[in-house]
Amino acid sequence: MNRLILWRMLQEEIRLNTSFASGKGFYSFPILVSISGFLAIAFTDEMISDMGYLEYLEVLHFGILFYGVFAGSLAFFGNEFLEKIFGYLGLIIGLPTTQPITQRKITLLYFVKEFIFYSFFTLIPAFIGGLIGSYFYGINLISLIEFSISLSFSFLTGLAFAYLISSLYRHSWKFSVVGGLITLIIYSLSVTNTAITPSLEWYLHKDPIFIFISLINPLIISFCATILVTDYHEEVTIRTIGYQDRLKEYIGKFSWAKQISNPTIISKERIDLQRSKTGTKMFFSFAFPLGILTFMNWFIDKGLPIQIDFNTIFYGVMVGFFGTMIYSWLNTIDSPTFYSTLPVTVSDVVRARLVLFFTITWWIPLLFLSLISYMSSEINLLPIGIIVMITVGMYIVNYTAWSTGLRTNSALFDAIIFLKFFIISVPPMIAMTILSLAISYSVSIVLIALSCICGILALFSIFFYNRIEVKWQNETFD
Amino acid sequence: MAVIEAREITKQYDDVAALKNVDLVIHEGEFFGLLGPNGAGKTTLLKILTGQIRMTSGEAQILGMNIEDNVIDVKKKIAIVPEQESPPSFLTPREVLEMVASIRQIKNPDTEKWINFFELEAMEGRVCRNLSRGQKQKVMLAAAFISNAKLMFLDEPFINLDPIVQTKVRDWLVQYVNKGGTVFLNTHLLENAQRLCDRAAIIHNGKIQSMIKVKELNNQNMNLEELFHEIIL
Repeated sequence: MNRLILWRMLQEEIRLNTSFASGKGFYSFPILVSISGFLAIAFTDEMISDMGYLEYLEVLHFGILFYGVFAGSLAFFGNEFLEKIFGYLGLIIGLPTTQPITQRKITLLYFVKEFIFYSFFTLIPAFIGGLIGSYFYGINLISLIEFSISLSFSFLTGLAFAYLISSLYRHSWKFSVVGGLITLIIYSLSVTNTAITPSLEWYLHKDPIFIFISLINPLIISFCATILVTDYHEEVTIRTIGYQDRLKEYIGKFSWAKQISNPTIISKERIDLQRSKTGTKMFFSFAFPLGILTFMNWFIDKGLPIQIDFNTIFYGVMVGFFGTMIYSWLNTIDSPTFYSTLPVTVSDVVRARLVLFFTITWWIPLLFLSLISYMSSEINLLPIGIIVMITVGMYIVNYTAWSTGLRTNSALFDAIIFLKFFIISVPPMIAMTILSLAISYSVSIVLIALSCICGILALFSIFFYNRIEVKWQNETFD
Repeated sequence: MAVIEAREITKQYDDVAALKNVDLVIHEGEFFGLLGPNGAGKTTLLKILTGQIRMTSGEAQILGMNIEDNVIDVKKKIAIVPEQESPPSFLTPREVLEMVASIRQIKNPDTEKWINFFELEAMEGRVCRNLSRGQKQKVMLAAAFISNAKLMFLDEPFINLDPIVQTKVRDWLVQYVNKGGTVFLNTHLLENAQRLCDRAAIIHNGKIQSMIKVKELNNQNMNLEELFHEIIL
């Protein structure tokens, strides 16, 4: 029975993915991953000479560990998002509500399914890419296989960590924070005198005890997570009573925006944002990538012989880029299906959400950038950082809105859309990052170059915004 | 005067033909029922006629306008209750009605009337996300009824409603049609169709199998349920 459920879960996962990304986009994702694996091998020598052997391997392991956490978070917290986007979704994981099977068992099977799915979807394609690369670039095959196995264990550990957090979260969010921190501390202490993951330690020194630890770690974490899953889980709901009717008040407040969008739609979206408490989620979703960025900054400083100081302008670029996350959050608050009963187009709703992005949520990136600037004692760079942040934010968010409409999360699962997003976003970011690093060498030239890029991005922003109507006005909400 | 004219509507989902050359004419002031088993194509046809999805081929005129070219103009003049109740999760029922009235630019909307009609006062201060399915269905019906539209598309509107509210809604719909409104009702609750409809069509496997005048059927001492079983089984 377990094997059958597992098989059906895998089928469900593939059908779910192909339903919100195109089949072509979904199936081409492993090809992209294979190319990445090939490139990782192709540039191995350069990376090792730049970063150092150990640091390079640690970055790869650290990356795959976080990928495991990310994939697990998407799996264990993702259904809530999906239901908001697509309405009610009956998934196999919900079987215990009607069938004689425990939630504990089905959740464990779900975790196993996740590992199998991501193994076939990303790990094995990356390995195949690496294998092809090793043929061309003369990398030792045994070494590649051993390293791939070690990466798989790190991925599994990340996935298991996300599983544990989700199990704790079902009890309370406080449990998940405390439990997550305790696990992180225990893990950090256990790798103090070794490589960043036990499997990397095994790869480096071939001590068999570490391959055992690599396996036992995720098993213990997932065992604890499974034990914590209970069968009687009551959803934590928002306040059930006491909401004041505020729509009319907001329609009045947003009447200035009637040339851009419909004030009633903006007001509805504004109320959604407030009552769903998504602003708080947005705030914390900013803290996580910025934390990673700060860690990478520290790590590169530590690992490289030269000193790189990411300044406020650089963070302005990054914070602006993370505007995509805010827009994406705005698209996950509530299902837009009700609009299909009204004389409203998809482009009306997209523009309403853009108005919200530029008027209501602007404080989140501004707050982060100001804090970073203050902590780095670079208040003098803050005005330029803000201009850069606003320009990059407008550019990337208008592009995201134009290319993904109301389904940002699911659309970015489509490899083709993701590739286009990557091509549109990365070159200007690289250019601005290089310029931000060069500001101490030639202020005037850097400022002129930054102004030019900002001007070009602003023009593109207007172009993308104007295309929203054409692209989305005839689309349906279904 | 025809308010709905559909010609050779076809809808293809990959290999599945959900609708096959459907022809349909519905006149002003009619109470029309579209009956059929699950998966027959009822909801697909309603969604096409209301511009919620696009047809693969064919043509449909709603209130004299081509639906594919005039989705927004058509939606301004019709009211829709979809199959699954889905009022905005974070608005209160009153806010939903205010939103509908505002988007449809209804002057002096009868918000209080519909709040009272569906007994939504008890839900004041609660957001739709926290309502029961039946309560959400009431909000959806109120949002349609407040629109003052001349043509209504209702997809299984009685599901989840208690018997008392069902009776109230049925009575109101009869009055609405008597005053010149038109109803396009999708249902598999044949008893309701028998009571309400002037005309009904039975759809099966994406094709209209039979067009029935309910009075004539009554004169033949038959009812919709018997005919339905005869056609479908």
